[in-house]
Amino acid sequence: MKRPQDIARDQRSMATIVQLTGAFEGIASMRISQIKTQVLQAQNFFDELWHIYTQLRVDSLFRFGRSEKDTPINKELFIAITAEGGFSGDIDQKLIGSMLEHYDPAKQDIIVIGHHGAIQLAQRGISFKKYYKLPEKDQNINVDPLIKHVREYRETSVFYQTYVSLMVQDIKRIDLKVAVEQQAKTAKAKDEIISDANYIFEPSAYAVVAHLERSMLQIALSQLILDSKLAQYASRFRAMSVASELVNHSLGDLRLSFYRAKRSIADERLKEIITGVKKSSGSESI
Amino acid sequence: MSEEDIVLEKMALSSPSKNRLIHVKVYSPYKTYFDEEAFSVSAENDTGPFDVLASHHNFITLLNPCELVVRAPDGEERIRISRGLMHVKADQIIVFLDI
Repeated sequence: MKRPQDIARDQRSMATIVQLTGAFEGIASMRISQIKTQVLQAQNFFDELWHIYTQLRVDSLFRFGRSEKDTPINKELFIAITAEGGFSGDIDQKLIGSMLEHYDPAKQDIIVIGHHGAIQLAQRGISFKKYYKLPEKDQNINVDPLIKHVREYRETSVFYQTYVSLMVQDIKRIDLKVAVEQQAKTAKAKDEIISDANYIFEPSAYAVVAHLERSMLQIALSQLILDSKLAQYASRFRAMSVASELVNHSLGDLRLSFYRAKRSIADERLKEIITGVKKSSGSESI
Repeated sequence: MSEEDIVLEKMALSSPSKNRLIHVKVYSPYKTYFDEEAFSVSAENDTGPFDVLASHHNFITLLNPCELVVRAPDGEERIRISRGLMHVKADQIIVFLDI
């Protein structure tokens, strides 16, 4: 049996782990709440932009901000949004696996966001066009380089982690054009047509439409990245909750072992005393 | 700014609409910079600097990097912007920033 001092040392280090997991849990939960608020704010902004856009457009063709002269690459672009580091569980493996089920190098190119996803692809011997770090900050995410790639391709699908609840995260594939339209599901219906007849445009109506399309793509992509980060924080929160529970359980066991060890020493001493007393009283009687 | 522009600006600022209030909202996806009544908004687009007062014609413009100035009853609000889009309609101005 371990000595009580050794068990007490283990207890102290275990208590530090409990504090650390608690702190990580708290940070993850705070980030989750912050991102949720941001997503809601950005949604209102997007709705107003979409409202203007639908009033401006007479057809429903989303052109990704491209001009009619631009000829896109006749391939599909896959964008995989994964975690930057560890603590993300097996969700990235599932995401990459799901993407590769649909992947054909002749028909698709891959751009990966997040170091974890890039490693997963490299391990499987899959080459990708570009790798970007997952943005550390949760606000004003610069997606301009991504939009540049998106505009080059005929169509784009995004594979990302999505937040269902604190305990459940899922992976999803979405066509970016559909993502833009889905963002607009809460927007008001168009009520009038905006045209040169009733508006002044600077520099031109076409430039405004193209700019709006690019902007909405940026917001939709940022929202998908935020959704992924939300899922990652939730996954981390869950991992930390499980770890905290396990460590608390072990701490209880250690506490029990400590008292047992102390009791055992006390019993041992008592035995020694009794034996000593017996021996000394025996010798006296002789 | 040319002399003609200065005269035009003075004329605009001395017109009755300069004292009428318009609702101005300046915001980005994650932050609201201004959401109150104001007398006018000044900014810059490809054509150059411009002001928007009450009764302005319906107007949509892309904004260039500049200092957006909102003249409100409480004083002037200056917001440095990198890019944006302004929508003017029926005495309501919405400026979308960072897009």
